[in-house]
Amino acid sequence: MGAYVVRRLLFLPVTLVIVSFVTFAIARFGPGDPLSVAAGQLRDPEVLERARAEKGLDGSVFEQYGKWVRRAFNGDFGESYSIQRGRTVRELIMPRMWVSAQLNLIAIVLVFGIGIPLGLLAAWFQGRWLDPLITTTLLGLSAVPVLVVIPPVLWLFAIKLSLLPVGGWDGVLEIYWIADVIAIPIPDPHLYIPIAAMTIPGFAGVARLVRVTALQVQLEDYVRTARAKGLPERQVAFRHVLPNSMLPVVTAIGLSLAGVLEGAFFTETLLGIPGIGSLTFAAVVSRDYDVILAVTLILAAFFIVMNLVTDLTYARVDPRVRVGAAARV
Amino acid sequence: MTAIAGELAAVSGAALRSRGQYALFWSRLRRKRLAMISLAFIGLFYGVALFAPVIAPYSYTEQNLDRGLEGPSADYLLGTDRLGRDLMSRAMYSARTTLIVTVAVLVSGGLVIGNTLGLLSGYRGGWVDGAIMRAGEVFSSLPGLPMLILINATFSPRVREFTGWLDDHTFLSGLTTSGFASYLTVFGALSLFFWVGTARLIRVQVLQLREREFVLAAQALGGGTAHIIRRHLLPNVAFLIILQLSGTLGVVAGTEIALTWFGVGIQPPTPSFGGMLFEGSGARTFAAHPHLLLVPGLITSGLLFAFALLGDAVNDVIRGR
Amino acid sequence: MSQNRILAILLGVLAALVLVVGGLSAVLLLSGGSDGDDAASGGSGSSGSVDSGAASGRLRLGGGDPITLDPALAGDAGSAEYIVELFGGLMTLDQNLNVAPDLAASFEVSPDGLVYTFKLRDNAVFHNGRAIEANDVKCSMERATERRLASSTAAAYLNDIVGAREKMAGSAQSVRGVEVVDRKTVRITIDAPKPYFLAKLTYPTAFVIDCQQAESNPRNWTLKPNGTGPYKMREWRLGERIVLEAHAGYHLGAPKVSQVLYQISGGSALTRFENNELDVANISVNDIERVRDRNNALNKLYIEASSLSISYLAFNTKVPPFDDVNVRRAFGLAIDRQRIADVTFNKMISPATGILMPQLPGYTADDKTLKFDPEEAKRALAASKYAGRVLPAVTLTEIGAGAEGAIDTQAFIEQWRQVLGVQVQIKQSDAATFFADVDAGRLQLFNSGWILDYPDPENVLDLKFHSRSALNDLGYANPTLDGLLERARTEREAPVRLRLYQDAEREVLKDAAWIPLYFARQHVVVKAAVKGWTEPPMVIPRLRFVSIER
Repeated sequence: MGAYVVRRLLFLPVTLVIVSFVTFAIARFGPGDPLSVAAGQLRDPEVLERARAEKGLDGSVFEQYGKWVRRAFNGDFGESYSIQRGRTVRELIMPRMWVSAQLNLIAIVLVFGIGIPLGLLAAWFQGRWLDPLITTTLLGLSAVPVLVVIPPVLWLFAIKLSLLPVGGWDGVLEIYWIADVIAIPIPDPHLYIPIAAMTIPGFAGVARLVRVTALQVQLEDYVRTARAKGLPERQVAFRHVLPNSMLPVVTAIGLSLAGVLEGAFFTETLLGIPGIGSLTFAAVVSRDYDVILAVTLILAAFFIVMNLVTDLTYARVDPRVRVGAAARV
Repeated sequence: MTAIAGELAAVSGAALRSRGQYALFWSRLRRKRLAMISLAFIGLFYGVALFAPVIAPYSYTEQNLDRGLEGPSADYLLGTDRLGRDLMSRAMYSARTTLIVTVAVLVSGGLVIGNTLGLLSGYRGGWVDGAIMRAGEVFSSLPGLPMLILINATFSPRVREFTGWLDDHTFLSGLTTSGFASYLTVFGALSLFFWVGTARLIRVQVLQLREREFVLAAQALGGGTAHIIRRHLLPNVAFLIILQLSGTLGVVAGTEIALTWFGVGIQPPTPSFGGMLFEGSGARTFAAHPHLLLVPGLITSGLLFAFALLGDAVNDVIRGR
Repeated sequence: MSQNRILAILLGVLAALVLVVGGLSAVLLLSGGSDGDDAASGGSGSSGSVDSGAASGRLRLGGGDPITLDPALAGDAGSAEYIVELFGGLMTLDQNLNVAPDLAASFEVSPDGLVYTFKLRDNAVFHNGRAIEANDVKCSMERATERRLASSTAAAYLNDIVGAREKMAGSAQSVRGVEVVDRKTVRITIDAPKPYFLAKLTYPTAFVIDCQQAESNPRNWTLKPNGTGPYKMREWRLGERIVLEAHAGYHLGAPKVSQVLYQISGGSALTRFENNELDVANISVNDIERVRDRNNALNKLYIEASSLSISYLAFNTKVPPFDDVNVRRAFGLAIDRQRIADVTFNKMISPATGILMPQLPGYTADDKTLKFDPEEAKRALAASKYAGRVLPAVTLTEIGAGAEGAIDTQAFIEQWRQVLGVQVQIKQSDAATFFADVDAGRLQLFNSGWILDYPDPENVLDLKFHSRSALNDLGYANPTLDGLLERARTEREAPVRLRLYQDAEREVLKDAAWIPLYFARQHVVVKAAVKGWTEPPMVIPRLRFVSIER
């Protein structure tokens, strides 16, 4: 087990190098470059040529990548050429990262916080008259695209009822002062729509998964056997049913995090939230090489660690999946 | 209720392959009313998509500027967009786009690659597993949506250059004008990413299966890898493949819509639900002209919902509920 | 049968979750606390309809993050919007677009029109209080033309100064044409007597910066620039907000509004305006009818203004089929811009009547463009060398931000199909691809726009159409036109000069190198309490004229 973890961790930098080179190359494969975007209508081929030389954007992909790696080792991930000219990538990304991180953290906590109990609740309703309604509703919630739901919701709450702001970002908490003495932090109203949009499809999905696995586990041999052996019900429930129905849920953590992150792309773009999603899109269309690369690497590192954690938990929860069980065939 | 899954576990080998089992599967599925409705909806959707050129009342580009932004009427059953184009006809042709992309991604690598690699990886283990899973890790660690946006943004101009070249230099012609280039880019990029999920799912299942008695027994009897995969593993993961098929179609359709919404998917004037949704997606646009969003929105939601319901029902049947 | 067990599990998990969620929200509360404090100390809490800040002289605007606040680099209107408030140069534009002294108190032009001598104002200071001296002007121009900076705006707008080209190419150490005469006097020599040179000085690339600050922190000095403008930067939270604060020591009189808040994130401006989060909002095509309705409360707050910008269809005159002027004319004659402006854009824009737009010297109201005429269009096509042949495939390319083609482009395509029987493809590219393709001469026909950087016809006609201009992306060359443009450059009699440009404009239109499409118009609503708000036709300093009376 220890060796396995070490091996996986050793592989992490290798993956990152591959990912960074692939991204680096793909970004440069497209026509055009960030400097021409920055120059816009005032593009002068001669000046652009000079600019490329000054910024080290001439030369082959490999040369450029080599330069980038050397700089990256010194903690310099480059600068933005087109969307925030001259700003360091770090400075550009950090605030947006923080905004997205807060949104995603709240969303993921809610996804599982609501999804797991809801799923078990739905399992409990199995076979009753409400069952089809519940499962269908959950399915509907997880299937309807965010793109379709946000505009009507915005219209209703922001335009028609004027209850919520029409988008934007103003931190997680708003301080509500009672008589200028007592400060009560309440969730900022800008949060409600994006959080709902990012959470609802997720928790519906998790709930469905939990429901299905809880029901399935009931039928498994080892549960039947345990019960047949006369183990107390509570022990069967917590020793056998719960851990095993958590197995797919554990895998789902990684998946739903990915889902939440992708949902954040639309949510941030539609609602004008200055997060990593809207930044990435802007960077891609204006070929802001260093920004694209940095965002991709951060997300990639995050996904890889998530995968590792998922795999390890998986192995713990289900002893039959032996870690690194080398080929015996 | 007898559980097919139970039988699966107990009876090894040719479980679901026999015609009787599929008939049983189908007869069980047929009893699910929602699944049948979904199936009918999906069938209708694909039918309309297939015959769009025949049944659409207008062409998707035909404009009538003086009749822009109208609500439903006898002339335009679902209303018109800003240029006075018939939304119903545009929706039908958008369905065609969905049809082409989903089928292409499905038939192309996505599932074939995913299934093969998943089975191989799970069963062989060792360096095969390592290599496949590391490759999968690299792909899945590339954050999907941003990566798809990046790939589409940078590759589609190149692909267009390439199809333009084919137009000029080979007997193929009309590739560029048919929108072939953007289909190619979109489905190529999607296939690249869609094998990983399938492969992982199948691998995990196989990992569990291969420790089971019947596989161990087959190994003890000296069965080779190919034999065991074909005889013992494939039948047992077949239900997963069916599940994945019904699930993936929805995801592929949704991703195409998302990419086009971001402006890097299907290029205009080829209509796509992504483009139609984008046109209607401002909150104030919605306030003024709700049908611009509602027409494509309800259709896509319906389609994705139907895919989900069907997948769910298939799941239920396979697991014997 | 199994429900009891599931219920038991459910309760257990629920209990665990309550703990986890509780713990996490506590963490969030603690970490988020700083956010809240910030907002509270900011004076007025946060969003919502209760905003006490408005009463204390705070103007709330929508906006976007500027691409850069470095005057030497900025080339887009969005950045210039902030830069003209934060910085200033020797000259500026007044509200009527006349060139007026800013940091300069006065200036003299030598009789040959080559040497400009500027006397600096005694009371002009940087935000930090340091007086502005001739050295600052000199070093700002030196910096803007540095090879390392590779500024495309400097290449376009400072190239008249003697020695600037050499400096930018790296063959000279300094710009010979900028000399410090004494502490408060600077002398600039240009390469030819160009009457529009002063107008060029109003563009940010010629602005004065604090060179020491820029040198000490080359990458991030613009986060809190030490400028010379009426406003100084108080806070810039990327993607969230920009707060400007009045510069009390401003040499043209302290601004009346003490704080200007740009809310950068957020959705529909009009909704925020109606929810009292913004004092000024742009109107979109969806809302224009409501705002134009005399019975609507918004109507009284509505301002409509023209702007020095034009959108156009550009032909690559080197590639088939647009190497024939008749084809270009046919394409221009086949589109009904008036109807598209009226119907599709709800009259928010007006069809262009030429290349020079209202409020630009040289503009005349008569329509000089090709008028919609299907029969004439067909005749033009029939007169071309492609008559009777299959027209080569035509693709129209545009910068695509969204999923659909620009709405007018799609309309044009349909009209070309109907009138000329030509099936034109739309290609949407992102900006990077688009520019690369334009520069490589790969595009046949593209949709673009031009916003004037200084109010002189030279800024569009010479830059875009002279055959040797680096910005001529059409492959278009017309010796007659070049002659007119060259004469206009150094013609010192204003009326004669403008007539030359009008001739040049006609020449371009005769050759149908562009199909001018629309002159943009601005549509905003402004809260009644905001006095003195203007919508100038181009980016000029305007905030200091605004006051708030609540």
